[in-house]
Amino acid sequence: MTWLVRAAIVMLYPRTALLPGAEDCDLDDFLERFRRETSALMWLGVVAGAIVFHLSPLFTVFVPLPAFLLPSGLADRHANRISTTNVYLVRQLVFVLKLPAGLAWGANPEVRRRFSLAPLAADPGTWRTK
Amino acid sequence: MTGSHVPFRAQGEGELDAEVDFVVVGSGAGGATAAVTLARSGASVAIVEAGAWRDPEDYPLTAYGGMRDLMDDWGSLVTVGRAFWPIVQARTMGGTTVINSAICVRTPDDIFAQWDSVHGISGLRDRVREAQDWIEKDLTVEEVPVTSRGRSNLLAKQGGDRLSWPSSHYMRRYTKGCEGAGQCLQGCGKRRKQSTNLNYVPETLARGGLIVSSAPVQRILSEGSRAVGVTGRFSHPTTRAEGTRFRVRARKAVVVAASVTHSPVLLMRSGVKSPALGKYFRAHPGTGVFGCYDDPVDMNIGATQGWASTAFRDTPGLKLETLAIPPELVASRFAGGGTELMQRLSEYRHVAMWCHAVRAESTGTIRQSLFGGRPVVRYGLDRPDMERFRQGMVLLAKQHVAAGAKAVIPGISGMPFKLGKDEIHLLEDAPLDPQRYVAILSHLFGGCVMGKDPKTSVVDGRGRVHGWDGLVVADASVIPTNLGLNPQHTIMGLAATFAADLLD
Repeated sequence: MTWLVRAAIVMLYPRTALLPGAEDCDLDDFLERFRRETSALMWLGVVAGAIVFHLSPLFTVFVPLPAFLLPSGLADRHANRISTTNVYLVRQLVFVLKLPAGLAWGANPEVRRRFSLAPLAADPGTWRTK
Repeated sequence: MTGSHVPFRAQGEGELDAEVDFVVVGSGAGGATAAVTLARSGASVAIVEAGAWRDPEDYPLTAYGGMRDLMDDWGSLVTVGRAFWPIVQARTMGGTTVINSAICVRTPDDIFAQWDSVHGISGLRDRVREAQDWIEKDLTVEEVPVTSRGRSNLLAKQGGDRLSWPSSHYMRRYTKGCEGAGQCLQGCGKRRKQSTNLNYVPETLARGGLIVSSAPVQRILSEGSRAVGVTGRFSHPTTRAEGTRFRVRARKAVVVAASVTHSPVLLMRSGVKSPALGKYFRAHPGTGVFGCYDDPVDMNIGATQGWASTAFRDTPGLKLETLAIPPELVASRFAGGGTELMQRLSEYRHVAMWCHAVRAESTGTIRQSLFGGRPVVRYGLDRPDMERFRQGMVLLAKQHVAAGAKAVIPGISGMPFKLGKDEIHLLEDAPLDPQRYVAILSHLFGGCVMGKDPKTSVVDGRGRVHGWDGLVVADASVIPTNLGLNPQHTIMGLAATFAADLLD
């Protein structure tokens, strides 16, 4: 399912002339780590968000194709419309997908550089053991 | 006379069995203050904390790391109701004091008067104030230093002043020389924020205490109606793998300070029967309004929260504050997706987020889930509270405009993403459906409320659970009213008072 999640995230945070996209952010490593470290419930929510994202173009751009098969212009329009849909549960599921994607994207050194923020060192992931 | 710290123990390692005078469950504002009060009297004290003990050099730097290492279950607890609003709580040594902005506000007189007249709790005012005096001295309370204010806080002050709000001030916080690193939410790696893992917990240890970390308490041990200790299994800080069992017996009392959501559930699991248990949950639901400025604001440079106004605490019932969030969180907070979203995010340097906290009158309940015993919080806002919520957004939008913003981003589903300064009046007719808003619950109260009547309260005015001996609750769950202010100082004052009562 990770590829489905990845494809949705790349559409939600595409590379533009202004900013790097999610695909520029070691997304594969991030998703692997996130899947390993997060709770099963959280990962389930992310996967559910990705499934809804890919199965809903019929309702947003009126094309009976999964999002990952859409041409880029339509995929872009779909990404915006599904994220702002009036259907609360769908919007929340897409938000659950956007949350980790945003965490990966916003911590990227190049993104931070564009915002005049210093790069962040790696999280230590340590605690007192004595 | 230094005590000992027992971190995670895997299965197969020896079980922990210990006995002390007092066992304190939780190490946040309530637990740590209660523990140090008891330890200073010479009593032997154990703090049993569900999270790991992380020092500033262990703190994460990214928001991802913050959610993984410091938040309770990745911050995934949400209200169950018409809308799913996240509940912000930490799970680490020091509790939520590690991830909050350490805002210090004394408990106002009207709160004590309300506790007295409505809940029959009298005599707390002077004692809580006395405790707040020494806590302020212990932890150092300072106004946000001039050099750390950052442009977002300066603009907020400017906006509030231009609107002639009677209260528009830089915050007083438990910090020592804040450097304005903008990392409050991930724990202050500069050691400036005085979270309890840096002071009261180490002091308890230095006074011979036992600190047990990564140890979520499953139940309170009892003999008849007397609490005699706690038990549970260690939980690995990252994998959450179950470790070996621990049992810490209390010769004198068990003090529960596991948070508003966990304390009621722990009492339920431990056989405490009270018609009020898990009821009267209250909160400060809130949301942020972004202002868009011509010049860069760089809100992540400077104190994460540095400005506040209490001008609207009584009418309509709001607290206003600044709150800087990093790009990682703005990325999901901004509506939209695709190139439209990227266009919006490109303005990050030019936006400032200020937020409100609604002094909501709505109440909810806390129960344990059928699977795993996690807390389930049922909560929603009634119409008057939603009107307050909306009014708070209007005030924030006006404040941004007064500070020079050319537009605001309210984040209301179904409304334009951005409203020009001539369009902010549209917010006055914004929908009142909570599903349209992106909100969080930051300050929580209730679930084990104090009061005179055991039918409507769980603990008395000294934090003692009705009908039990040696069982005290000392966190925000005892607070029976909505403070309308940041609660950390009130929680600490109450915990110190309840702990001192145990020594009588």
